[in-house]
Amino acid sequence: MVDEFIIEANNLFKSFGDFVAVDNLNLKIKKGEVFGFLGPNGAGKTTSIKMMVGLLRPTGGQILVDGKDIAHADRLKIGICPQDIVLWESLTCKESLKFMGEMYEVPEDVLKTRVESLLEDLILMDKANTLVSNLSGGMKRRLNLAMALIHSPEIVVLDEPSEGLDPQSRRVLWNFIRSLRDNEGKTVILTTHLMDEADGLSDRIAIIDHGKLLRLDTPKNLKNEFGDGDIVEIHLADPKMNPEVIFRLKTMENIDSVTEVDGKINIRTLNAVGKLPEVMSKVQDMNTEIADLSLHPNTLEDVFIELTGTSLRE
Amino acid sequence: MKFISVAIKDFKELIRDRRGLFLILLFPMFFMIIFGIVYGNMGQTNETYNLVVVNLDEGAKMPLTNEKVNFGDNLTEIFSDSEYEDSDVKLFNVINTSESSANKLIQLKEADAMIIIPKNFSQTIVDEMEDSITAQTTGTTSSNNNSNNDTLKLIISGDSSSMGFGVSQVVLIKIIGEYHDNLVANIQSQTSGSSAEPLKLFEGDVGSVSGTESFSQFDFLAPGMMLFAILLLATTVAASLTREVEKGTLARLRISKMRSFDMLFGALIPWSIVAAIQVLILLTVALIMGFNWQGGLNSIVLAMFIGVIGGIGSISLGMIIASFAKNDTQAFNLGIMVVVPTSFVVGAFFQLPQVVIGEIMGRSFQIYDILPWTHILNALKSVLIYGNGLSAITYDLAWSAVLTAIIFIIGMGLFSRFRLSVEN
Repeated sequence: MVDEFIIEANNLFKSFGDFVAVDNLNLKIKKGEVFGFLGPNGAGKTTSIKMMVGLLRPTGGQILVDGKDIAHADRLKIGICPQDIVLWESLTCKESLKFMGEMYEVPEDVLKTRVESLLEDLILMDKANTLVSNLSGGMKRRLNLAMALIHSPEIVVLDEPSEGLDPQSRRVLWNFIRSLRDNEGKTVILTTHLMDEADGLSDRIAIIDHGKLLRLDTPKNLKNEFGDGDIVEIHLADPKMNPEVIFRLKTMENIDSVTEVDGKINIRTLNAVGKLPEVMSKVQDMNTEIADLSLHPNTLEDVFIELTGTSLRE
Repeated sequence: MKFISVAIKDFKELIRDRRGLFLILLFPMFFMIIFGIVYGNMGQTNETYNLVVVNLDEGAKMPLTNEKVNFGDNLTEIFSDSEYEDSDVKLFNVINTSESSANKLIQLKEADAMIIIPKNFSQTIVDEMEDSITAQTTGTTSSNNNSNNDTLKLIISGDSSSMGFGVSQVVLIKIIGEYHDNLVANIQSQTSGSSAEPLKLFEGDVGSVSGTESFSQFDFLAPGMMLFAILLLATTVAASLTREVEKGTLARLRISKMRSFDMLFGALIPWSIVAAIQVLILLTVALIMGFNWQGGLNSIVLAMFIGVIGGIGSISLGMIIASFAKNDTQAFNLGIMVVVPTSFVVGAFFQLPQVVIGEIMGRSFQIYDILPWTHILNALKSVLIYGNGLSAITYDLAWSAVLTAIIFIIGMGLFSRFRLSVEN
């Protein structure tokens, strides 16, 4: 079956003066998939998304929504849940959804049913007539999401929707995102900093940094590409020895990579348990004490760090 | 009709923000009270105003007696004899002169008001008397046999911005009204035969004019305060619109099917209601503070209508401010920087020197007249101080409506361009 693409970004470019925020980004998002969009702070995620929904004019390139240029695309097709909570504090939950539906020209009878169903699905029914200003942070987040869905868009853009949510609310949200894809066939574009969220929800993930697309693949393929194995994490008692130890460990055979991450030594390799005695022996030969040692399977976060580095972003 | 949904949303936000609403309504009220206290007793010095009378009346012969009369002279004499209520101070120092020198005196501010008595003044009154007598003798109600159908029109003019003219105009209208009422009563008693005496002219019986004892400077400031309150709406609207930008709710609306017209026209409705309510509240406060309100109940409705037009102008000004302000504090400060000088320019507190730039429809057009609020203030003064009706303010209403429409279009254009279009 030929894939149907609902959003295509061709050579998308955006600069603010001398600063290049998005640098010739090429993306194709399939209909009905959850598309994860990862990148460190300031990588160009939100700028790219703003251009994809028509809020920001690209400096160059083109965005096609269902084959049509974004300027002429049907606004009803896209719903955006912004990173910040964007609500009218003096309206109730019901009034907010009704007003937003009216702005999208949703017919009155459909709107009534949809408001009820969204309040029900996002566990806000009890707060239907409560002013937004009196809602908790989690409730506001859920209402923020409902506002993006009131016109039943084909494409739902969720910009860091779990920010500030407790684990319970996060699970409600994740189930809801899955149901959007599985039950309603919607395309979900998800930006997040939570790697387990991206890993667990996304069908495909794009990792961008400095406005450039670094990788685009399924979470499984991304993890395989960067070592289908384990990570051994060693915390030396004296971190000053890290460079020397890394140099020695790199001489070992069948080691994929040895890097320093947050003051610890990360060794990526297949069958890490079998290689542990040799690793320990090399470290001890250098008269260095190991303060802590752990072993875990390769995660998306490891891939992310591998691609975008460890330096702090603002 | 998305603008109705926007209007309902804005209205709910407005009334639920009790503190904000309270401030919007309370702040101008506070000003009105202060001005009432400070200026309430100013100007109550029973000043004699200079009245120029251009009496063109050619006189007429009385029916029955054939006596030669001149009602114009009679009316002029009454002006001269009129005194302040409870005082022996004359209301007017009457100067009889020609029309051209009268205009010159007004321009030189040597006279407060001028009145032109037309040449057919006496004849028209006599014709009416004859008609009345004929009707009485033949038993018909009205025949208008003698009436030459000329409109009997006394023209009162002067510098509408001066307090002297304001007081003179009110008093003149009162005197003429009483003169007319007495005249009608006299004709009726004469023709019904209840009086054996021939018809007499009034001999200075309008000694003191009721209501003239209490005019103060506050009477001429109160409409200005109302206008100031209406103008202040621009800052509130600008801050409210900028808050939508700051909070991101505008971006949410921008990707919906809402158009700029829906948003801005929708916003006009609740804020216009606020403007009308402001006029009503401020008029009530002004009355409590001793404002000499001359109109009837219809003048309140008319003043509220004028307030709505002024309010639309202010809301449009708010849109222009919101197009450039980066946050609501900046919008508020920028708003104050625009509104306060505008209030001075349009004469809300005192009149600036006349700067005539042309003549339109026989009226001088000043540089301040390019702002709708100048006309709004003229209309409010005309209705509330002088008790005039809709016909008297048509000119100012028309101008204010046209200029407000222009400002609204500019405001909508700028706001759409800078706030509602795709960001660059």
